[in-house]
Amino acid sequence: MNLHLTVNGIAHEVAIDPTERLLDVLRDRLGLTGTKEGCAEGECGACTVIVDGLALNSCLMLAAQAEGRSVTTIEGLSAGGGLDELQSEFIERGAVQCGFCTPGMLMSATALLRTHPEPTSTDVRAALAGNLCRCTGYSAILDAVTSVAVRAAEQPGG
Amino acid sequence: MAETRVLAPRNLVELQVALAQATLATRLLAGGTDLVLQLHSGFEPDLLIDVSRVHGLSGVSERDGVVHIGALTTFAQLAAHPAITERATCLARASAQVGSVQVRNVATIAGNVANASPCGDAIPALTALGTQVHTIDGAGRVDVRPLAAVLARAGHTHLVVGEAITGFSFQGHDALTHSAFAKVGARTAVTVSKLSMAVVVRVEVGTIVDARVALGSLAPSAFRDAGLEAVLIGRPLSATTVAEFAAASVELVRRVIPERSSMDYKQYAIRGVAYDVWNALNIGPPYEPVGLG
Repeated sequence: MNLHLTVNGIAHEVAIDPTERLLDVLRDRLGLTGTKEGCAEGECGACTVIVDGLALNSCLMLAAQAEGRSVTTIEGLSAGGGLDELQSEFIERGAVQCGFCTPGMLMSATALLRTHPEPTSTDVRAALAGNLCRCTGYSAILDAVTSVAVRAAEQPGG
Repeated sequence: MAETRVLAPRNLVELQVALAQATLATRLLAGGTDLVLQLHSGFEPDLLIDVSRVHGLSGVSERDGVVHIGALTTFAQLAAHPAITERATCLARASAQVGSVQVRNVATIAGNVANASPCGDAIPALTALGTQVHTIDGAGRVDVRPLAAVLARAGHTHLVVGEAITGFSFQGHDALTHSAFAKVGARTAVTVSKLSMAVVVRVEVGTIVDARVALGSLAPSAFRDAGLEAVLIGRPLSATTVAEFAAASVELVRRVIPERSSMDYKQYAIRGVAYDVWNALNIGPPYEPVGLG
């Protein structure tokens, strides 16, 4: 079957198997390998992408369910090919160690900040509860997300 | 084996046409958080009916005090909807504790019921609310029956081939009705329930006049327990009432799973769950369990 979807602002038509996961289409058919496969059962969050504004596990969604939808992956966070503010803050704060969880963390945090520009620390923790990290101990990640939110709130008109 | 055929009905008429083609090997796909795992591990249905885009099966409405929930309503929607947080508090709380944000954004209430997991968090809440399940089949026949008549055993329902859940309805809380949900799992968040409890009570001038208590993760299906309800009905909102409720909960665990290896753990855990539920009802001062069960 043919799937029509928009990924990082670019419209695609892809031939897929009906039971193929969105994760597989992103990585294997579109070459967007920034989205990681960790547990493959919706526990670790490494495969998190944003579909029509909602963070979800691309390992638990069939590609066919993304028909007509707009998907944002880690590759789409910065249109210019550089790093966006949250990505830079992760590096600045040492929130990246082995890096495997980082794309999923960034997508969950991005989805949060788009809908809750001024999240409480409880909001941040809840938003990232579905993303596991074995390296950092989480504190640096939470600090990075919180500091980006605080900075946005302090900006005039932000 | 032939490739799985996929139908993606957009309205109830197209859904009926699809359901009429269903066999025992057909599966319905809503949020997909359970089914996609099965598909990825090699399960090949003959027909996959992607119901996720059927118009009119998502959302919450309220009429004459009755709350109606569309089958495709997600847990994120349920956790935040005012008609659920105010008129079905136990369901809002259960919904907020299903999986992670990523799971709650797509997992649906009908999927939770249709998968009939013993630890499905919505099921005890829906049970305590006295929920009716609305279905449709391939011939266009609609049916409404109590949730208990739909649940069969772990992983199985009494839904027949070609029958799909379209929604749920129950009497929403009035000003005198309160409800709560609590669960315990291996982690604080994003955890599968090892025990869960939902309670709906009606309180008139400081006395519980009606109670419905449902337990999850204790038997093959969530169930109401008349014994626990009797402990609450006619009683004041006192430390003694909650202590007796917790003690009766412990006895229930010992009676329901006497031979299970988890009994030793659950007989203590249920006590904390009982106090958590009581305190979450927010109908009086919070109480803490004293000593070990």
